[in-house]
Amino acid sequence: MECNEIMHALILFIDNEIYEEAQVQSFQSHFQNCPQCLNEMEHERQILTRMKTLLADECCEPAPDDLQIRIAKQTALLASQMFSPTQIITEYRRTETTINGQTHIEIETTHEIRGDFPLS
Amino acid sequence: MAVALFPMSSEIEVKTPAELLATETVVERTARFERDAMQYTNQLYAAALRYTKDPHNAQDLVQDTYAKAFTSFHQFEPGTNLKAWLYRILTTTFINTYRKDQRRPLISDGEVEDWQLAAAASHTSDLGKSAEDEVLENLPDGDVKRALQEIPEEFRLAVFYADVEGYSYKEIAEILGIPAGTVMSRLHRGRKLLRVLLMDYAKDRGFGGSDGM
Repeated sequence: MECNEIMHALILFIDNEIYEEAQVQSFQSHFQNCPQCLNEMEHERQILTRMKTLLADECCEPAPDDLQIRIAKQTALLASQMFSPTQIITEYRRTETTINGQTHIEIETTHEIRGDFPLS
Repeated sequence: MAVALFPMSSEIEVKTPAELLATETVVERTARFERDAMQYTNQLYAAALRYTKDPHNAQDLVQDTYAKAFTSFHQFEPGTNLKAWLYRILTTTFINTYRKDQRRPLISDGEVEDWQLAAAASHTSDLGKSAEDEVLENLPDGDVKRALQEIPEEFRLAVFYADVEGYSYKEIAEILGIPAGTVMSRLHRGRKLLRVLLMDYAKDRGFGGSDGM
C-alpha cells in the first residue's frame, strides 16, 4: 500500500474497523517500513485515546433519582393496563333429531374468550 | 439456546426462547424488564443529554423510551444487545417526538463543515501537533463536554456512540438507522470539529499568545 492509501484509511485502522486480516497485515508491514506513517498513526491514536478518556469522564451524568422513580411507576402502570379480567363464555348446544324412530344427537360446544391481551 | 422446563409425564418439554416469550405473563415480563432494562437508566440519560442538550427534555426522553421499550419488550430478542436495543428506541423516540419541536433546521452531511474543516486545517497548522498534544493534556474540566454539545447533532451522536460507548460502526449504524459509511464520515468529521473547538477554547484563554497568535 502507498502512503496516501494508508492515510486515507487511517481512521479505519485506528478504529479497528478493518476486518480482513490480509488488509491489517498490509497496514502493519507498511508501518514497519515507513516511519512517517507510523508516527502519524501513533500520534492520531494517542490523541483519540486521550479524547475518549476525556469524553468518558465528562459524559456520564447519572440519571436523577426521581427519574428512576417516575420510570418505575410508569412501568407498574403500563403493566396493570395489560391485565384485565378475562371471561370465558362456554355455550353448549344439543340438538336431538328423531326421524322415523331413528334418533340423532348432535352436541356442539363453543368457547368465547373475552379479554384484553398483553399489547403486541 | 433451548431451555428445559418441567418434565411432563415422563417427557421433557423443550421450549425455544421465542416460545417462552410467547407464554410469558405480564408479571414475568415486568420482572424481566426491571431486572434487565432498568440497569441502563444512567447510560440512557447520558445519551439523552446528547440528543436534547437539556436535562428536562432528556428526562422526558428517557421516560418515553422506557415506556416504548416496556410495551414492545416481547419483541426484544434475548441474547442480543439490550443496551443497543434501548439506544435504538431512544433514537426513534427522539426523532418522532422531540426533534419536531426544534426550530433549528436539520443540517445534512456536508453542509456544515466547509468552513469548519477549513478552520480545522488552518488551526492545526497554526499550532502544530505538539501544541495540540499539550492542549489536550491540560484541558480544564468541562471543555470536552462543552465542545461535544456545540457540534451539530449528527456528528455529536456518532462521536458519543463510538468514543464514549465504544460501539463499532455497524452497531452505531443500527442504533442511528443510517448506513455504516455515513457513520464513518460523521465520526471522522465530528472528531475533527471537536479538536478544532478545543483548540479554539485554548486560544481564547491565551494559549499560544506568546507566539504572537
